[in-house]
Amino acid sequence: MKKIIYPVIAVALLVGSAFTFIAGQNWQIADGYSIAFSSNDASGIFKGFKGTLVFDEANPAGSKFDVTVDVATINTGNGLQNKHAKSDEWFDVTKYPTIHFASQKFVKAGSGYQVTGDLEAHGVKKPVTIPFSFAKTAKGGQFTGSFNLNRNDFKIGKPGGDVGEEIKVDLSVPVTK
Amino acid sequence: MFKKALLLGIVSGLLAGVAALVYAKVYYSSTEEDFSKVAWPVRIVAASLFGGVLAAIGYWALDKVLKQKGEIIFNLLFTTLSFVSLLAPFAAKLPLEIQNPALFYGMAVPMHFFPALAWFTIKPLFIKK
Repeated sequence: MKKIIYPVIAVALLVGSAFTFIAGQNWQIADGYSIAFSSNDASGIFKGFKGTLVFDEANPAGSKFDVTVDVATINTGNGLQNKHAKSDEWFDVTKYPTIHFASQKFVKAGSGYQVTGDLEAHGVKKPVTIPFSFAKTAKGGQFTGSFNLNRNDFKIGKPGGDVGEEIKVDLSVPVTK
Repeated sequence: MFKKALLLGIVSGLLAGVAALVYAKVYYSSTEEDFSKVAWPVRIVAASLFGGVLAAIGYWALDKVLKQKGEIIFNLLFTTLSFVSLLAPFAAKLPLEIQNPALFYGMAVPMHFFPALAWFTIKPLFIKK
């Protein structure tokens, strides 16, 4: 029995360390990011954004995004609108303080990439696909993406009304190594 | 009469502008929220002057048409319009880099009453009835 312990440990170490080569680059979210949303009536940004971004252009399949948006940091540019957006009529910040996205699958799509994962907002979890691009910069890199969401899918606000149901989300996230 | 009213409007407008500038500076130093991109000094003074001159035209017109009741109606109208003008800051959409737009009301709302305050304060110096 003792004879096989050391070879098993050696193999385990070898396999484990090999995965560290396969795993993508871990990027740190830098200041100056923008998580913006817009519809026909309301628009604004979220200022609180954090999480883990592991991404390798050469091997997108080994990448991983796990990010959280602090809903209380919403800014529409109008104090009354901010208060309204945080209320139980819309995001219900007290009950659902964060929006969470966890990636499941990355694929190369044209000149960019697509990440599919679970987006959890307002207590509702749904799979979404986000097309994005990555560009290397002097300090690290820049993720840029844009996608549409139907707020009714996440039970945010009441159907209809002045605020459009289709919400465009624009992401721009500078990262450093 | 128009000359006196206009002079009163200009002086009260300028006074309101200066008071608003001082208030904006004090407000900024206490809240550290910078609204100078939305309400910069020239804009504040110009808006106050606009209010003063508009009041002068209104005062002169109402005095001409309604005679003795003109002043009472003018005072009511000036105060009411100052209140109504509060809708503007409450509806304003500020640049998104302003972290706390809710603080804007505390700065803009008092300013909307400065032209009326200045007008009523210095009116006896210009128009005696």
